[in-house]
Amino acid sequence: MEDIKDKSIHHTAIKICEDFKTSPSYQALFQDIQKLVSTPSVKYEDFKDSLLKAMKDNGLDASLRNNVYHWMKTKKKEIGSPHDTFFRKAQIHWDKRIHKSLNSMCTELGINLAKIRTVSEREELAGKWGELSNYEVDIHKYRPVYAPKDFFEVLLNLKGPTTRNKGSPKWEFAQMPLKVKNLADLRCLYLELSRGEQILGVNSSLFSSRQYSALEAERMILGDKVLIKNYAPMAQEFLKKGCPNSLRAKIWTLILGAEVKPYHYGYFESLKDSVLQYDLMIDKLIIKDINLTASNDDQYFVFEDVLYQVLLCFSRDGEILKDLSTQPGFMQVVIKGKQSNTENNIIFPPSGVIPFHGFTMYAAPFCYLYDDPVQLYFVFRTFYIRYFHRLHRVCGNPQGVVSLCLQYEKMLQCFEPGLWHHFRKCQIHPVRVVIKWIMRAFSGHLPPEQLLNLWDLILAYDSLEIIPLLAVDILVFRKDNLLKVNTLQNIEAVLADLSSISVIPLLQMSLLKE
Amino acid sequence: MRVTFCTDLDKSVVVANCEKRGWIQVGPEDDWNIYWAGTQTCRSLFSVDSGYRMHDNQLINHFPNHYEISRKDLLVKNIKRYRRDLEKEGNMLAERGDSKYLHLDFIPVTFVLPADYNMFVEEYRKAPQSTWIMKPCGRSQGSGIFLINKLSKLKRWSRESKGPFQQQLTRESYVISKYIDNPLLIGGKKFDLRLYVLVTSFRPLKAYQFRMGFCRFCTVKYDSSVAELDNMYVHLTNVSVQKHGGEYNSLHGGKLSVQNLRLHLESTRGKQVTEKLFDQISWLIIHSLKAVAPVIATDRHCFECYGYDIIIDNKLKPWLIEVNASPSLTSTTANDRILKHKLMDNIFSIIVPPSGMPDVRWNKIPSQEALGDFQLLIDEDLIHLHEGEGSNYLKQNRWK
Repeated sequence: MEDIKDKSIHHTAIKICEDFKTSPSYQALFQDIQKLVSTPSVKYEDFKDSLLKAMKDNGLDASLRNNVYHWMKTKKKEIGSPHDTFFRKAQIHWDKRIHKSLNSMCTELGINLAKIRTVSEREELAGKWGELSNYEVDIHKYRPVYAPKDFFEVLLNLKGPTTRNKGSPKWEFAQMPLKVKNLADLRCLYLELSRGEQILGVNSSLFSSRQYSALEAERMILGDKVLIKNYAPMAQEFLKKGCPNSLRAKIWTLILGAEVKPYHYGYFESLKDSVLQYDLMIDKLIIKDINLTASNDDQYFVFEDVLYQVLLCFSRDGEILKDLSTQPGFMQVVIKGKQSNTENNIIFPPSGVIPFHGFTMYAAPFCYLYDDPVQLYFVFRTFYIRYFHRLHRVCGNPQGVVSLCLQYEKMLQCFEPGLWHHFRKCQIHPVRVVIKWIMRAFSGHLPPEQLLNLWDLILAYDSLEIIPLLAVDILVFRKDNLLKVNTLQNIEAVLADLSSISVIPLLQMSLLKE
Repeated sequence: MRVTFCTDLDKSVVVANCEKRGWIQVGPEDDWNIYWAGTQTCRSLFSVDSGYRMHDNQLINHFPNHYEISRKDLLVKNIKRYRRDLEKEGNMLAERGDSKYLHLDFIPVTFVLPADYNMFVEEYRKAPQSTWIMKPCGRSQGSGIFLINKLSKLKRWSRESKGPFQQQLTRESYVISKYIDNPLLIGGKKFDLRLYVLVTSFRPLKAYQFRMGFCRFCTVKYDSSVAELDNMYVHLTNVSVQKHGGEYNSLHGGKLSVQNLRLHLESTRGKQVTEKLFDQISWLIIHSLKAVAPVIATDRHCFECYGYDIIIDNKLKPWLIEVNASPSLTSTTANDRILKHKLMDNIFSIIVPPSGMPDVRWNKIPSQEALGDFQLLIDEDLIHLHEGEGSNYLKQNRWK
């Protein structure tokens, strides 16, 4: 047994070394190590030990460990389920529908999917790059390709891969043969919350201000130490008990491995160049979505201009397509006026991600944490690749939106059957009520400070399962008012204002062992 | 005995809050207990000729001579006098360094015109490239404000207005202040802070700061170049100005909550500097009130809610721009309405004693619950009662 384990660790180590040789972040680290080797602190006679010691002293030891840690996070094999082909087929089918819709929108509006910008267009865009909210472009005829409720219909119509028994109602997610965690399992996962430990959240009336200040000060001191150590897994552990606002940006960057080095700025510039060079129809959809969401939101409107830059560049980033584990289907289009060949066929969009109504809100909360658009970009990109992309793709992964909806359904049915039956009597699908929250990870629904606490938990426990739990908790909390109304509109009105929700105390209430 | 109220302004936030307390609306001629009055009414009520005497169960929302704090020239005069007096007594608060007040430097260099014209010119010549802002003393909503960057422009303005220089200015006096040309920008846009402060008494000073406030953003990116000096959409944050800009969005109204500002600053600049900024804001509010306290007519019937306008510069230093005695109660967005509703609600909880009937004889020490979203800024009564306890902010030598 030990032997097999050793062999597999050995193979993993070899794989890591091979992958590292091509990754730019490792190459930068390797150069630093080379510089270190040429210093007197590394001796030829005692190469291995003196090198290891020198690396520890210089923090390169932590960097190397972080590189391995991030590799593990991104490259670990997707947990396969026996029904993967079924979900894959459904996603491909949905992708085809989206592509068809894009094509017909283009025909309708008389535009091309992709063309090269004229010199004057390029100059105008470049000139306005710092204030794209003033970039004149007529978008009123454009509509988002799909919205959460459309995606919800797709999920609803997934005919289960196993035969359904005639008695069960057509629209329960329970037909999905996916294994999801129940409350007992969640209590095991979210150990710090279920043990009733003191978590630093937003100061609510639960603490006196003196208690809160003391807790915050404690977390600040510990957090500073963690940042000095610069070791990602330690930062992740730290985050489980809440993070002071002033440390969050650095802690997130460390855990995600998204620190920007000089080559990142060059990469971002190349993305910007791609935006300036090619006029992709998707740009209008991106601009439209920002206009519909962040520009009108009194929590995010000040960050409009940065969001344009980040989201436009995001669409041009081919590395996203490479790194996405859900392998989105992508379109290949020919640039207008050019002949079809390898040079003129581009993947549309290069990132493989077609935004839906509200996509902007994945990026908006990061604006509170990062002033530098490039740093913001890479943190957002990593978060998206690691977590958010699963919220709008059909897959069988336990972190995917299908599983999260199933988890929500099961918990609601189990712990608040009164509400469950009430929704069914009113002919309202319980998931419909919360699909926007789930797909957006509550962004734009919770106020920024509370939202950041929630996303702390996503990152700390490396799981999106906190989202359906919070959804159930909020419904239970507002149960009395929900029982009084019986149309979807009125239900949404009861749930529209989440400004009084305290995320951490609410979650703790449901996770504390009785 | 039902509590009665009267109001000059037909504002829903006022009426709704009174009615939800079961108060009955009456006219100004009737026996009112609470009067939410306009400044004109107050002037006449308090004037010697009116002969109006308020009884012990009447409260009104202005102090008779509130213009000592709300007129730009009088505010500046009072602050300057306050600092000089502290300096004369040798108080550490008025300590100077490098010709500036170290702890009380919260107003930009300001002169009243025409009275201080010569002093202004002397100061101007020390830095002839700088920009100055001209504001009429008695107006509001950004009306009549303009920027100058050359003395000649000022002279030209005075020539262009009707009548000779002296005559024009005595009709309507102006203040001229050093323009803060390095405001803190978010998203490249300039903003100012609107904070609400309730004062229930000046001697002893009792003041409360409302936790919720908002930043008012310009709709156009900040540009300090000479070309944009006349573009009011770049420089003036008043909603009444920005409302008419092409980029104005009525859904958010250009207003960002102070909580969100604080979150952003803490996250990007750190806790210490953010805390220092907000402490300095409370500090300047307290001292601006102390500066006018000696000259405000103490009348137990009065309370007042001020709208403080503050600008933060890019070094995170707050500057007091002005104090409004009649801050707007009109709501421009849904969130705005909620904020102003809460504001009025809390104001009424604080000024009315626990008995529920307005009474000038009570000790004016509201309970913690009555404060609601207000925070005690300073209560000189409590300092006298318990030495050291009671006031969170009166730490005179807090930072050096």
